[in-house]
Amino acid sequence: MKRVLWSVLLIVAILVAMVPMAVAAPARQGDAGFDYIVVKDDWLSKLALKYLGDVFAYPAIAYYTNQKAAEDPSYAKITDYDLIEIGWKIYIPSPEEAQAYFATRAQTLGVTEGETIKIGALAPLSAPGSVTGGQAMKAAFEIALEEINEAGGVLGKPVELILVDTEGLPERGTAAMERLITQEKVVGVVGEYHSAVGLTAKEVAHKYGIPIIFAETWNDNITASLYPEVFRIAPLSSEVANLDANFIQWLGAKKVVIMTENTGYGIPAAEQTTKKLEERGIEAVTFSADIGTQDFSGIIERIKAENPDLILVLLTGETSYNFEQQAAEAGIGPQDVMMICNQVADDSESFWKNVPDGNLCFYRKVGLPPVLWNEKTKAFAEKYMERTGKTGVESYAMEAYDSLWLMATAINNAGSTDPQAIIEALENIEYEGVLGTITFPYNSKNPPSEAGVEDKWWHQFPDFAAVFIQYQEPGQPSSEAPVVYPEKFQTAPPILP
Amino acid sequence: MNRNALWIWLPLGLGVVVMLLAPLALVSRPYIMHIAIVAYFYAILASSWALLAGYGGQFSFGHMAFMAIGAYTTGLFAKFVRLTTVPTGVCPEITVGSYTLFLLNPVTAGEPTCLDIAKATMPAGTLIYRPPIYVGILLGVLLGGVFGFLIGVLVLRLRQAYLALFTIGFSEILRVALNAEIAITDGPNGLELPPLFPKGVTIFGMYFDATSKIPPYYVMLFLFLGSMVFMHWLASSRYGLFFRSIREDEEAAAALGVNIVRYKVLLFVITSMIAAAAGAVEAHYIGVITPNILLILQMSLVIAMAVIGGMESLVGAAIGAILIEFALEFLRQNITIGPWTIDMTDWRLVFFGLLLMLTLRFQNNGLIYPIIQRLTRAGVTEEIAARRRLVPETVQEGEG
Amino acid sequence: MYLWLALLWIIGWGVVGAVLIPRVYARRDLDVSQAALAGAMVGAASGPFGLALLAYFTPRLDWKWVVVPGAATVAIFLTAFAATYPNNLCVSNSAFVLTQVVNGLVVGIIYGLMALGLTLIFSILGIVSFAHGEFYMLGGMFVYYLTQEWFPGLHPLAAVVVSAVLTFVIGALFEVLFLRPMNTGQVERPGEYAILVTFGLSFFLQYTTLALVGANPKKVPRYFDYPRLAIPGEEGSLLKVTPGTVRLFEEIVIPSPRVTAAVIALILLGLLMWFLYRTWIGKALRAVSQDRQAAAVTGINPNVMNTLAFGLGGMLAGLSGASLVQVFSWVPWVGTQAAARSFVIIVLGGMGSLPGAFVGGLIVGVVEALGAGCVPDPHRAAAYIPAYGMLILVLVLLLKPTGLFGREL
Repeated sequence: MKRVLWSVLLIVAILVAMVPMAVAAPARQGDAGFDYIVVKDDWLSKLALKYLGDVFAYPAIAYYTNQKAAEDPSYAKITDYDLIEIGWKIYIPSPEEAQAYFATRAQTLGVTEGETIKIGALAPLSAPGSVTGGQAMKAAFEIALEEINEAGGVLGKPVELILVDTEGLPERGTAAMERLITQEKVVGVVGEYHSAVGLTAKEVAHKYGIPIIFAETWNDNITASLYPEVFRIAPLSSEVANLDANFIQWLGAKKVVIMTENTGYGIPAAEQTTKKLEERGIEAVTFSADIGTQDFSGIIERIKAENPDLILVLLTGETSYNFEQQAAEAGIGPQDVMMICNQVADDSESFWKNVPDGNLCFYRKVGLPPVLWNEKTKAFAEKYMERTGKTGVESYAMEAYDSLWLMATAINNAGSTDPQAIIEALENIEYEGVLGTITFPYNSKNPPSEAGVEDKWWHQFPDFAAVFIQYQEPGQPSSEAPVVYPEKFQTAPPILP
Repeated sequence: MNRNALWIWLPLGLGVVVMLLAPLALVSRPYIMHIAIVAYFYAILASSWALLAGYGGQFSFGHMAFMAIGAYTTGLFAKFVRLTTVPTGVCPEITVGSYTLFLLNPVTAGEPTCLDIAKATMPAGTLIYRPPIYVGILLGVLLGGVFGFLIGVLVLRLRQAYLALFTIGFSEILRVALNAEIAITDGPNGLELPPLFPKGVTIFGMYFDATSKIPPYYVMLFLFLGSMVFMHWLASSRYGLFFRSIREDEEAAAALGVNIVRYKVLLFVITSMIAAAAGAVEAHYIGVITPNILLILQMSLVIAMAVIGGMESLVGAAIGAILIEFALEFLRQNITIGPWTIDMTDWRLVFFGLLLMLTLRFQNNGLIYPIIQRLTRAGVTEEIAARRRLVPETVQEGEG
Repeated sequence: MYLWLALLWIIGWGVVGAVLIPRVYARRDLDVSQAALAGAMVGAASGPFGLALLAYFTPRLDWKWVVVPGAATVAIFLTAFAATYPNNLCVSNSAFVLTQVVNGLVVGIIYGLMALGLTLIFSILGIVSFAHGEFYMLGGMFVYYLTQEWFPGLHPLAAVVVSAVLTFVIGALFEVLFLRPMNTGQVERPGEYAILVTFGLSFFLQYTTLALVGANPKKVPRYFDYPRLAIPGEEGSLLKVTPGTVRLFEEIVIPSPRVTAAVIALILLGLLMWFLYRTWIGKALRAVSQDRQAAAVTGINPNVMNTLAFGLGGMLAGLSGASLVQVFSWVPWVGTQAAARSFVIIVLGGMGSLPGAFVGGLIVGVVEALGAGCVPDPHRAAAYIPAYGMLILVLVLLLKPTGLFGREL
């Protein structure tokens, strides 16, 4: 008996925890619609909650009452949701009628009809995803959200951001998108860090016709499928490979070892870079490792035996730190051969803690170099560093921030939450963000095939800036580390080992 | 007795009716449909694991590996096998009747496959087919059974911790191989699969397109109900007794004439096939399968579901899985208690682990099973008490 | 090409031998305990010829029948490897091989320390702790927070000691709360309960840590800067030490944090041996592991010994974490791979065997290093690192579940 009691108690506890969901589900009261005379202390949302089970269903009452009023003057005409008078005769629709109303509204006007405009966001917040990246993006989203709402929100309503954890898993990405679009009824989606998730998320966005702006997914195929809903402000993997190859050539390396992770980001990036390097007559050998590999000593000895002039690290997260520090300890660190460390090195506090021997590391930074930072970038950087306690701003934080602002701006430009209108607004947008002026020049009016560029440029922000930075003193904060390439932005010449 | 039967069949029957009719209410809420499909998937895995571990005492951590074998088999089948009316002459192929069955060669993205090369020389009007999805799924189930047989034979001598370690080893090797052989499996990016019904499906005159959630819902539901009925039959038949006797005392069971080798292997084969079937259907439904489903974390999720539901009860494990899947999905919102806001993305798995430990410690039979037991025994205690009153002089035997 | 043929030969005839020989021996009513392993080895080394002779003469099988053909099998494999890849570094460069082996041994000592904790728990409580990796992770985390956040300036060695105490307390507390009921009959089927409940603990500890400290990788600066040293002189030195590295014979470079960690591990190993063989409590522990009932009769409280053993086991994992947090970057899921490796080691060494854990650690360290160093395809060499150990695990469980030093079942 006691055991049964325990079981029942625990199950009840679980169920109670699920109450928020139950509340959100519409409760079905009366079956048919009916007339109602307004009494003291009534207001529309209260009636909507009472009879339709949903506080936000009041526009349906107003809509049906106004329809009746057009035929029968005994009904009141509601012009202001906040104003109803005692004695007015109004019509309370049945839940079915109310749903039908919202369904048609959703088709004609976009999906949201409520107190807020809902925008969905994707980020990896738990393992096996890159939690570091996800948490940085989360902080950036929160800053952007506060700013948007302080500036009066979108279409006069506050923005509600629904951030969903994708765990870095493609199948979770599908589930997250389904939830955002069909359950939360968001008008657009922004964010995501992992390419593998982006590749499945874009399919769901396409299925429901909801616009999505990818923040940090580099895989070329995401835009190359030419879906009208898909936009991207992150750089293209193949273009980054090109940049890397240019930089490596400029440094004068003849033999390169690429140390990559075997993921949807690492493998194509290594292949593309190898191709670009071969075009320039530079030899490249690729080693790949599982994410989460700790001990690199075996691989490092092999890299040593290859005798490279330069090592390009395409590992991410703590795996890259492990490799860089162990390479330095084994005598092929950045002070012994040229090393392009992974971009996570930009988080200088974390970098110096994990790679104390990492001086002279180069790393690629996507986004404007600090010399070209506009007012917005500076303001964001200040807020971001204050909020996170970091000493620099990662590119994916900037991209996350811009992606949310971009979506909000597009909705405002469109003047409605209709997905088609938002997509059109995005195609025509010229938005001044922390990454620079964002535009999408290859769009439905100027498709890549006609413009004579590859399909990957579709709905792609083309002018993403990327610079190479070098740590030139141990413990240097990333904001003070000089830009060494491209030469027009150079603030100090590179120090070669 | 009638009363007991009613107590157990009424809620179960009601549950089945609710599950069958749920799509009517949920048609406008595809997300809940999605969670329900995934929940049935986990319910199949948890209950078949309960059969293997709870009934048979075979503590396998390789259940997800069999699931993945099912999923990857059908995925690779859909990716690499094609039918044509004309031999390609380039690909490895065999001719069956007027059709040619051939394999595509694994290539890195962007390079032409042997089919692309062959297309240039094929006569106009050549038809190229994908073989039907269900063939791949059946193949997956079959291969799951074959691997179940192999593992079942190999682990005959191993018990408890040894068995657990062996199966962990097996599933880790499989995961690493799937991750590393990118040319074939697409590695961590995941293998993409066509939907269950690529051209949509018409049931009772209603057409559902490939993206509709209703056909996969019923496919998964019927797979779930079917495997539950089958496993229940198995567990309550003679075989169930053998399984349990092996679990309790292998030597004694062998001495009493139970063919241990046969029943242990049989148990592995059956549960592996069920897991493989669930995996194959789920993979087609989700549309992508990654090696990460083989992480120990995912396996522990299934085990925890079975344990919290009740490891010695198939129905308990299944209900546990469904409840937990829904709970994990809906517990993602932040919870505010007074001045503290708890970010549930971080904390839900902590609570989950705690719940698992507490259940094990204080509710050995899980949370759901005692309730079922209570319902079925509602009359039994009274009956026993009545009998005892009738024959007070009989020596009472210990109740099992 | 040769390599694949050799592998086919080894695996094919090995399986045939492992299946056939025990049957032949069983039919003649001979001791079959070594038959599967010896059959597999003889088959792998000599194919049908050796197997036919073995099946015909059925000699009494002792360790020689395993070791000699085992060595021959390895020789066949290595020859085929060398013939297939004559330019592979592992074939052409002996300094490279030596470096890999030394690196493997150094890391293997620390792996061994961690596995020692797991095997200690198994020998006393008879269970495998699936939360072992989390104790390893906690050990490192505590050192990081003690030296970097809570008490900056605290000497790392003091932090290592404190972290050992903390992991011991957590382990002992868990044992009292969750494992003790197993011995008082409150739990049905204790073997399976133990697997699941330690699994739950692992889940709980890992995600609590993640929720509390986040996912940013952490690392402690190396504990000691070594003095500069060259023996006998700068030129042609046998041993050369700089603050960050130790260099042997000019060729073999070992980063100094690893040397520190290995030395800490060796000292701890010595202390543990002293504790187990020279102190009363240690002797009591060993007594319980040999015979619970008999030990209880002599007045040793087995419950206390259980708590002590689980605490000690967790502490050893914590200590190896604490000595490696200066070598690797630390994240909450860092223990998963380390735990998997410990499983391999204790199975290889024999569950419950202390020397087995140490030797197993060295072997696994070397195998992983050589695997990463020698697999010809650079794409696969590192990607398969987690699989090398698991392959050992699966093979040992199949051929000789008692491992190298295990008690016979």
